[in-house]
Amino acid sequence: MAQTASLMSGVPELLVLRLLSAREMYGYELARAIRESTQEAISLGEGVLYPALHALESRGFVRARRRTVSGRTRVYYAITPKGNRRLEELSGEWHRIAGAVRAILAET
Amino acid sequence: MATQRFEGLSRRLSRAGIAPRHVKRLIAELETHFVDLVAELRSTGLSQEESQSQAAVRLGTEDVLAANIIGRPELQAWARQWPWLAFVLLPLLILSVQFVLSMAAAAGVFSFSTRVLGLTPVHAGVVLWVMGALQAYGMWIAPILTAGAACFLALRRGAPVAWPIVGCALIALVGASTNASFEWSPAVPRGAMSGGIGFNLPDIGTAKALRVTLTLFSVLAPFLWLRAKRTGRSKPARFKAS
Repeated sequence: MAQTASLMSGVPELLVLRLLSAREMYGYELARAIRESTQEAISLGEGVLYPALHALESRGFVRARRRTVSGRTRVYYAITPKGNRRLEELSGEWHRIAGAVRAILAET
Repeated sequence: MATQRFEGLSRRLSRAGIAPRHVKRLIAELETHFVDLVAELRSTGLSQEESQSQAAVRLGTEDVLAANIIGRPELQAWARQWPWLAFVLLPLLILSVQFVLSMAAAAGVFSFSTRVLGLTPVHAGVVLWVMGALQAYGMWIAPILTAGAACFLALRRGAPVAWPIVGCALIALVGASTNASFEWSPAVPRGAMSGGIGFNLPDIGTAKALRVTLTLFSVLAPFLWLRAKRTGRSKPARFKAS
């Protein structure tokens, strides 16, 4: 379980940035998009998304703004240029690691 | 404002030093998310009670949410991120500014009284009283107020106890090292005023020791009592599904 958690470190950040690079979303939309895109292979406690989003905002990778839609106020998040650079960096790292693991698995 | 469902989480986050703006928004976002989840589950035919129960599981328990939020240093209030600044450096700076301003105000009052109102040492009116009050403020009251503000901030942000104690000790010491004097009498008709901060360690003298003790006792005693009271009742509440 601890190994799974360690493998998952950095994944929420990557997923959130990737999804936000397509369009701005609010937390519930993001959670649903993660669930649907990964066919529930990655299950995060949905509430855990929010501290991750706030931390990304503090580091300047995403920007938050309030929008009222159908009488309900929601906080929408959008990726920033700095966030796009971070996404490229994280994607590159992820592809390198995934490639290396695939190569080892193919050998055995 | 947190509804009953997230009240416990909100209190835990505030006590753990999470910045109030983050606490407020996180709680509002979790509330909205919960309502969305319940609506989604209700649309699948589940009862209201069952939907709320499953929504609470999907959102995560209070312990999991609290651990995830508290574990992110970026979300901490500035006083928790830079305690040396919040509880030591800034209060000392504020104390110095208050002392300088009280001396400047005293000089202004004296100048106005003599030049504009034409008062003399024989008919000083309330001038001597005002000068005495400003002097007392700079030397006695400002250190207590400053140390009190630092301790209040420490209580609000749940800061480790060591920083406000160090801050109060330094504020008390610097505050007790200020000196100001004013003389205005027929012998000194133009008036004489002096003020400054002088250290004479380790022999700080009885008067200074009294000022240090007064500041420390009047601020630290209530601070430590309130802190102990808060710590005693900060048992985490369980997250409720309904």
